Amino acid sequence: MSLIAEFPPNFVHADRIDDHDPPPAWLVALVKRARGLLLPVLLAGLWHWASTIDASTAYAFVPLDQIGDRLLLLLSSGELAVNAGSSLGRALTGLALGGLSGIVLGSLMAGFPMVERLFGPLLQAFRQVPLLGWLPLVGLWLGSGEGAKQLLVAVAAFHPLLLNSYEGFAQAEKKHLEVGRVLMLSRWRTFRFILLPTALPSILTGIGQALAFAWISTIGVELLFGTGAGLGSLMHTAQMAGDMGVVVLCVVAIGLMGYGLNLILSLVRARLLRWRVTG
Amino acid sequence: MPSILHRRLLPLVVPGLILAAWIGATSGEGAPLQVLVPPSAVIDGFNELLSSGELADHLRASLWRLLTGFAIGASLGLGFGILLARSALVAAYTGPFFQAVRQVPSIAFLPMLILLLGVDEGFKLAIVAKAAFFPVALATHDGVKGISKGWLEVAAIYRLSPVRVLLRLILPATVPPVLTGLRLGLTRAWIVLVAAELMAAENGIGQMMEMGRQMFRIDTVMVGVALTGLIGFALDQGFRLAERRLVRWKTA
Amino acid sequence: MNAIIDPRSVQADSAPHTGGLAIRHVDKSFDIDGRKLSVLEDVSLTIAPGQFVSIVGASGCGKSTLLRLIAGLERQNRGDILLDGVPVAGPGLDRGLIFQDHRLFPWLTVEQNVLLALSNSDEAAADKRVRVASLLTLVGLDGFAQAFPHQLSGGMAQRAAIARALAPEPQVLLLDEPLGALDALTRLRLQSELQRIWLTRRSTMIMVTHDVDEALFLGDVIVVMQPGRIARILHVPAPHPRDRADPSLAPLKAEILSLLHAG
Repeated sequence: MSLIAEFPPNFVHADRIDDHDPPPAWLVALVKRARGLLLPVLLAGLWHWASTIDASTAYAFVPLDQIGDRLLLLLSSGELAVNAGSSLGRALTGLALGGLSGIVLGSLMAGFPMVERLFGPLLQAFRQVPLLGWLPLVGLWLGSGEGAKQLLVAVAAFHPLLLNSYEGFAQAEKKHLEVGRVLMLSRWRTFRFILLPTALPSILTGIGQALAFAWISTIGVELLFGTGAGLGSLMHTAQMAGDMGVVVLCVVAIGLMGYGLNLILSLVRARLLRWRVTG
Repeated sequence: MPSILHRRLLPLVVPGLILAAWIGATSGEGAPLQVLVPPSAVIDGFNELLSSGELADHLRASLWRLLTGFAIGASLGLGFGILLARSALVAAYTGPFFQAVRQVPSIAFLPMLILLLGVDEGFKLAIVAKAAFFPVALATHDGVKGISKGWLEVAAIYRLSPVRVLLRLILPATVPPVLTGLRLGLTRAWIVLVAAELMAAENGIGQMMEMGRQMFRIDTVMVGVALTGLIGFALDQGFRLAERRLVRWKTA
Repeated sequence: MNAIIDPRSVQADSAPHTGGLAIRHVDKSFDIDGRKLSVLEDVSLTIAPGQFVSIVGASGCGKSTLLRLIAGLERQNRGDILLDGVPVAGPGLDRGLIFQDHRLFPWLTVEQNVLLALSNSDEAAADKRVRVASLLTLVGLDGFAQAFPHQLSGGMAQRAAIARALAPEPQVLLLDEPLGALDALTRLRLQSELQRIWLTRRSTMIMVTHDVDEALFLGDVIVVMQPGRIARILHVPAPHPRDRADPSLAPLKAEILSLLHAG
């Protein structure tokens, strides 16, 4: 620094030894990022190559341009939007119904040991059955319509929130509750300013898990029932018709939407938990 | 002590009420048999499935798929997790794709795998392996990454041999998260396998339930629901037991 | 043991009329694994309005328990605690309590933490905020109203806790080793601050500490405790604001230390 300052700027410039500048930082970053694209591009290439071998492989590995055509078709007909919207609505409704009941029951269980003893062991037992294991039974009872699907998605969202809100409310610290007593806080304020904030991180974790479970089971029930609208049903129909292009597009859409939901939630979470020590 | 009795009996109240309602609804001119059968009929159905050997066949098929697929997926996950954590090159080239594929629920891959591999054993093993691969790889990666620099420095100060470092430091530090990953992978694999068998299979617990549904055999379906729960529970608990035995030094 | 504290050291012109405490024959014991553990036995103490009382004693002598009884967080097994003649039955806004750990709620900003202490007041929200701002000025936290507790140093967090305890304008402020968790320099600074706040407010303050210098610097009266009982009550004649090097403090310190060693 000090050395350069002693020379006039133009002199410093003329004195520079190597002519080619190092590549700018953004280019380095771009190239570094692009390395991650190599593998998917390579796989796509292999896929495309497999589609050209003969007719039997072309059935499974549809040519990439055909997938592109399908995408345009699904987009222009609005089919993708309708089915994606239907799945999203189902997942969010399930999250709201199942999640809210989970939070209510979880906080009741944390607050009243009696409720915990009445329902705890039974719910624990029910939780052991993989969600889609209920599907045949629910199918027998409720058919394969909207009610059955919504019930299963709600149950998927119910358990994580039950567990996490129970744990969250149960961990309220005695020392914080004591401050509440000294300040003569009302029951409502104790809940609002001590119990709820204590439980909030757990509840948000629970919402994250519940959202993931709701999304997975939405796709699962649509796929297995194969009725009505939804990305899972669309995929089911495409599989029956041997239309790999649509199946691939559905997989990508499901992944992207799951990722997007997760992203939105983590933003909300960061906003609500600003008070926590970070990094 | 009345309070202990209280504590013991309370959990039985709600299940007892449900059972009573169930018996009440199915006695006399209750619900049609396609909708609800009495508990005794479920037990009879279970005995029938057991004595005919049908249940054993389904169980064997499901568990074979689960364990084979899990073994493949978990060992691949273990290896890939270590590579991802240790090699910057592997992380740069495969990390983003790994993270992207991880976003897609395993179930969503079922139709694709059916189209690629057909409805035989192949796609079931593949989906089970896929379900096990990701949690195991992720946990292994985190475990290896989580080895603190401080510990490695301690090892260097005491000039521990590489074997010692592996046995006394790297393995104990990575085993707990890897075990958790394995457990998660196994339970997820089981869930996905049941779904896969519901979709397309000649045998297995899932197929047994699906057939029961199509033939309105509610007793078979209920036996299947209870069994899937029991198996999932047993797998999870077995693994937790192993975790506790292997990682006794952990407080939590 | 009976002890009446003479309110001589409080200047007559500024002496408040409320905030006087009478503790009469108080016993307190805890049940630990079914066994009775006696913590306080027949403790009596009278504190005049506006006094600063320091309670010193070794760990486990029951000094914190005495404070928690006054705060109403615990209930004595026998005896009475009267605040201005009225028996204490549970916590109340007439008594503020400052803990050793600041116990601010981490999810609320400094301002929200102090505001919460005003939640029982009918004042308009804007008036409350003005009061909180002046309290934060009093404890030297100007400009930190919107900070979360984790962004504060230990000393600053304890200042916020003091502001919160002062907000409902308690007649008695109870301080349970308020500076015990702070480093030596911060401690000295906050001792002077406490003295300044006490001189401004003139409410009764009762501070538990095991730092004899701190007790002498702040207290009009020093209550020396030995396990379960009051060993002696000493009056500190030095005027406020106090000079740490005041020569009258040295013999008192020697006396307290010998009592603590004997106990």
